[in-house]
Parts: sequence; structure tokens; C-alpha cells
Amino acid sequence: MNLQMVGCTHHEANLDVRQLLAFDPQEIAVALQAWQSRFPQSELVLLSTCNRVELYAASSNPSGGPAAPDLVEALLTFRNVPKTQLEGHLTTFEGREAVEHLFRVTSSLESMVIGEPQILAQVKQAYQQACDVGSTGPQLHDVFQSALRTAKRVAGETSLHQHRVSIPSVAIADLASCVFESFNDKHVLVLGAGEMAEETLRFLQSDGNPHVHVVNRSLERGQKLAESFNGEFHPWEKLWDQLVLSDLVISTTAANEPIVSADDFVEHVEPRRHQRPLFLLDLAVPRDFSPEVGDLLGVYLYSLDDLTEACQRNQSARAAEMPAAEKIVDQETARFLSESSHRATAPVISGFRRGMHEPKQAELERLFNKLPELDENSREEIEQFADRLVNKMLHPPLESLRHASQNGTHHGLLDALKRLFKLED
Amino acid sequence: MDSGINLSCFTTCYAIALVLELPGRWSQFRYRRAVCLLAASAGVLAHTWYLGHRVSEMPMAPLASHHDWSLLAAWLLAVIYVGGLFYYPRSSLGAFLLPAVLALIGVSWFAATKPIVSFEAPRVWGLVHGVLLLLGTVAVLLGFLAGLMYLLQSYRLKHKTSGGSRLRLPSLEWLERVNSRSLGAAAMLVGGGFITGVLSRLALENERGLLPWTDPVVLSLTAMLCWLVVAEVFRLVYPAARQGRKVAYLTIAAFVFLLLVFASITWSDTLHSSDAEVAVRATKPSIADTAAPKFGGSA
Repeated sequence: MNLQMVGCTHHEANLDVRQLLAFDPQEIAVALQAWQSRFPQSELVLLSTCNRVELYAASSNPSGGPAAPDLVEALLTFRNVPKTQLEGHLTTFEGREAVEHLFRVTSSLESMVIGEPQILAQVKQAYQQACDVGSTGPQLHDVFQSALRTAKRVAGETSLHQHRVSIPSVAIADLASCVFESFNDKHVLVLGAGEMAEETLRFLQSDGNPHVHVVNRSLERGQKLAESFNGEFHPWEKLWDQLVLSDLVISTTAANEPIVSADDFVEHVEPRRHQRPLFLLDLAVPRDFSPEVGDLLGVYLYSLDDLTEACQRNQSARAAEMPAAEKIVDQETARFLSESSHRATAPVISGFRRGMHEPKQAELERLFNKLPELDENSREEIEQFADRLVNKMLHPPLESLRHASQNGTHHGLLDALKRLFKLED
Repeated sequence: MDSGINLSCFTTCYAIALVLELPGRWSQFRYRRAVCLLAASAGVLAHTWYLGHRVSEMPMAPLASHHDWSLLAAWLLAVIYVGGLFYYPRSSLGAFLLPAVLALIGVSWFAATKPIVSFEAPRVWGLVHGVLLLLGTVAVLLGFLAGLMYLLQSYRLKHKTSGGSRLRLPSLEWLERVNSRSLGAAAMLVGGGFITGVLSRLALENERGLLPWTDPVVLSLTAMLCWLVVAEVFRLVYPAARQGRKVAYLTIAAFVFLLLVFASITWSDTLHSSDAEVAVRATKPSIADTAAPKFGGSA
């Protein structure tokens, strides 16, 4: 199998460069159709995400597929980007390297955030779109199915995907869930209307159905945020009342100094809460809650620094899983290549065997007709002799073919065998 | 009938489950959860078989002796643990529940197998007394364990060390709920057990004289009951005691009283003792003769 990949990823190109090559779903369909008519012997899949644009091309015929420069040229021409602009930013892989790269990408080992789960869906979507357009075939089907199997193994046999690495996911799924059994009917107070608060609320709502309360100095922004999460807006003067009522607080104001000191909390909030647990996510820089608030009974205060540290710890835990994941990718790559070469050589080998055994059988029959006096034992001996002879003659070329197919250099030998013994596929 | 199942069988099963539950090398074992469930289920099955066999030999067995009583309490906790594996599959409940199970089995190894004297009381009162106190003990133990988990989880959240730990604990909200419900249930069950104990003694009043209020077991049980009632009233009346660490402290204190009761039963119980003279008077010889062998004995 001849697999090629050309494209650019976040490893070699920054966002500005990647944007030059990015495709939306409609463009992908149009591009695949255009390239299909240009390279009729090739199967094509285009993967375009925010971190990578990769064009995969495969052909069963080693000399039938396009060369890497042709694919690069096709890609650049379609996006109307001069080659000079992408110099040094493009990557090309061929054969085993291309297979391994696809397996790594699908398993999220090449992602910007290693182990993020979206890439698997994106690869599936890219392959499905190519199927819909009709630009795929048996070659890419095999390699993409193997890639999906590899990703499934990596997800199941390692804990690469289990450690969360974004601030909202760590804050809610790793920490707040240690305090609350469920977020249904919990009172969530948002102080300020920052972007991080929005992201955290979105994550929170995917995990439960809390009552959202927004307290903000700006009426307009606060009301807008409250409406978008079916929450209630409260004026700033209600801050203490809302702190008494809430179970979880997400604070992202732009204040230059803490808006809640320990003394304020002790005076206005603590006596009315009766030590009910309060989880405080202070995502503001500088802090909205003074650190001493976290020392009070029943208060669990996490600042942005604490959360960043937790994210880094999880990233390290993911990195520790990399060797196990890479081992799986290596195993699956070797398995795929072995199966692929077996599929390529099997018809020739069986034709070759048949080509030797059929004349042997014909000659044996002729001999037995000429010597009817031979008893059963003698006939068996002669048959075994003929079998051994043919097998010994077949062994060296088949062994050479097996070695060559393991190294991926079997195409020349296959061609020679076909021509020498007049074999057909 | 020799079933071949003895204390060592289910102790080993629970010990395997505990090793897998504790953070360490084995906690990273790929099929840890499945093996844990298998080991604990096998343990419960063998445990049930053992208790069933004891009942077939001596109808009053599950509550008749300190040995059986401890084993039945351990069995209840083990069943709760197996249920917890389904309800809270990702948490390390076993790291807390299984040591209690093993400790109770350990107590049963050293506890007397002869029937408790109080079974000379009318059977129905004795049975209700035993069942209520058994359930009360399990409730106190559960509350204590939930309290410990609560304090540990709270400490880890306060000190920001919960993320990296392999010991996964349930949420504070859930632990607090278990804690307060255990306290309420323990107060009612121990209260019921105490009253039925008094009633069962009163039924023997004509034969044996006054209630033995100075008996160490009665004293310690009364103290525990008083504590449970006071703690429950405190929890209901004082809002701050309904949540957070205070409930945990209340249940941990209840456990201290439970230890006192255990100690008084073991060392200075005259009322519940298995003293040979009393036991022979209280039970039929045939039942006493069928008492299970202690450590490693076959049922």
C-alpha cells in the first residue's frame, strides 16, 4: 500500500499559517472532487481542524498515486496560496511514517492538548465526508479503520484521556464534584461577567441543572450573561445576600483589589451560612477573594493559580502515559503493515503455488497411467516425493517475498514473479 | 456436613479486595475494579454460606454468641461495600469499609462461640434486642467511617491535594448525608435495642431480682445511647451541626462509645458473658456443644 500525507500542523506552523490552508466542510467536498478528477487512481481524505490540515492519499499501485510535490501543489492551488508563504511549514510522510502519523493523530498523541477527545470525532468526520464524496476506497478504508481501532485501544488501555487539563473542566469535574454530589438545584453565583465564568458555566450546565445567579456592576452585561444561562441578575448591593445563598461561586471581576476580605466574609456571610460548605472559584487576576477566606470553616477557595497547578499536574500525568500509548501505536502500525502486505502478496503467492502444483499433479497422473503395476505404497511415496520437491523449490522465493513484504519492498519481487511465471492478480 | 468454608476463606477474599482498593502499586492494575468486585462477592458468598451453616447447626447462631454477632456485623458491612461498588464504582470506599470488616472478623476470631446468657430471656425479646443492637452498631460504624472520609476529603480540598491522589472519595455532600442519617438511625436502633434489653430482663425479674444497672455493659450502652440522643437532638436543633465537620465529629465520638461497649463486653461483662456456669444454665448442652471452632475452624 502506498500512503502519503501532506499538510501542516501546529507543530510546524502557527495559527496564521494554518488559517491559510484551513477548509470548511463545504470546501472539503469541493476540493476532494477536484483532486479526484486530477488523481483518478488515488483515494483521498482531507482532515482539516484548527490545529492541522492534512491530505491523505493512497493507491494500491505503487507507481499509480501522485507524488508528494503534486499533492502539495494541489493543496496550495486550491487555497490559492503561494508556495513561498508555506515554505518550512509543510510536512510530508510516506508509507510506514504516514500510517504511524495517522494513528498518532487519531489517538490524540499529536494534539496540542495531548489526550483531548475531539480529534477522534474529527478524524471520523473527515473519513465519513470523503466516503460521501466517493473519494475513498479499500486502501484508505483499511488504514482509517485501523487508526480508529488504535485510538480505541489507547483510550481503553491507558489513562491518557482521564486527566482533565482545561481550567473549567478541572474546576468543576475534578474539584467541585468532590464537594457536591450533583449540581442540580445548587445555587451558583457568578461575580463579574468574564469569559472564563461563561466557559465554566457552560461546563457546569453540561453536568447538571443549577440555579444561576449573576451579580455584576454593569447591569447590561450582567443581565445578558444571566439570560444566556436562564439565570437571575442581582445588583451589586445584593452581594452578601447572594454569598449566603450560594453553594458555588465563580468570580471573574476586573477589580484591582479583593472585593471580599476575610473580615467582610466573617461579618456579613459566615454567621448566616451555618457552616454550609461553599466552593469558591476565584478566576480573577488579581484575586477577588483574599486568601484568608479559604481558611474559614466550610469554605473551599481555589484561585486561578491553584487551578493552573492542577491542570499542569494532570498534563504531567498524561505525559506519563505517553510511552504506553506509543507502544500501542507501534504495535498497531506493525500489525497494519503486516496485514496490508499480506493482502497484497496473498493472491500472487497462491497463484504461484497453483502454478507449480498443477503441473506436478498432471505429471503424477501421467506417470501412474504408464506404470499401472505400482502398488498403493509406492504411489504414496512418489506423491510425497513430488510434494517435497515442489515445496523445496517454492520455499526460497516465498521466503524472499515474505522478507520483502515485511520491509515494504515487495512490489519489485511481486512484479518479477508475475512476469516470470505469467501469474495474474 | 463439612462445607470446607471457614473464616480464612472470606477473610482472604476481603483482604485481596482491600489490597486492590488501597493506593499503591496494585491500584494501577488494569482489571482492578473487576477483580475487586469478584473478590468481595466471593467473600460475601463464602461468608453467607458460613453463617447459614452456623444457623443450620444452631438456630440462634447469627446472634447467639459474640463470635456470630461480630461475623454478622462484618457480613452486613461487606454487603454494603459490594453495593457501594455498584453505586460508587470509581471511589475507594473499600479502603475504609474493608478494614472495619476485617477488624470485626478479627474480633470474631477471639470472641467466645458459646451462646450469650441473655438468650435465656423470652426468645422474641432477645432476638429483637440482638437485631436492633446489631443494626445500631453497623449504623455507628458506617457513620464513623463516613465521618473519617468526610474529614479526609475536607482536609484534601482545603489543602488542595485532592487532584493527584489515587484514593478517590465520595463528595462531601454525600458523606454528610450518610453521616447524619447514620447518626439518626443509630440513635433509634440503639435506643430500641436498649429498651428491648430492659424488657427482656424485666421478663426474668421474678427469677433474678433487680435490673443490673451497674453492669459495665449496661453502663457503657446507656452512655452511648445518651450520647447518640444528645448528638441527634443537637444536630436537629443547632443548624450548624447539621452540616460540615460537626456531624463527622459527632459520629466519631459515637464510635468511641461503641468501643467502650465492646471493651466492657469483652473484659467485664457479667450480663452477656459466656461464662461456662451461666451458659450451661442458660442454654441446652447440645447447642453449646455445636459452637463453631474459632480461628480457621471448619463450619
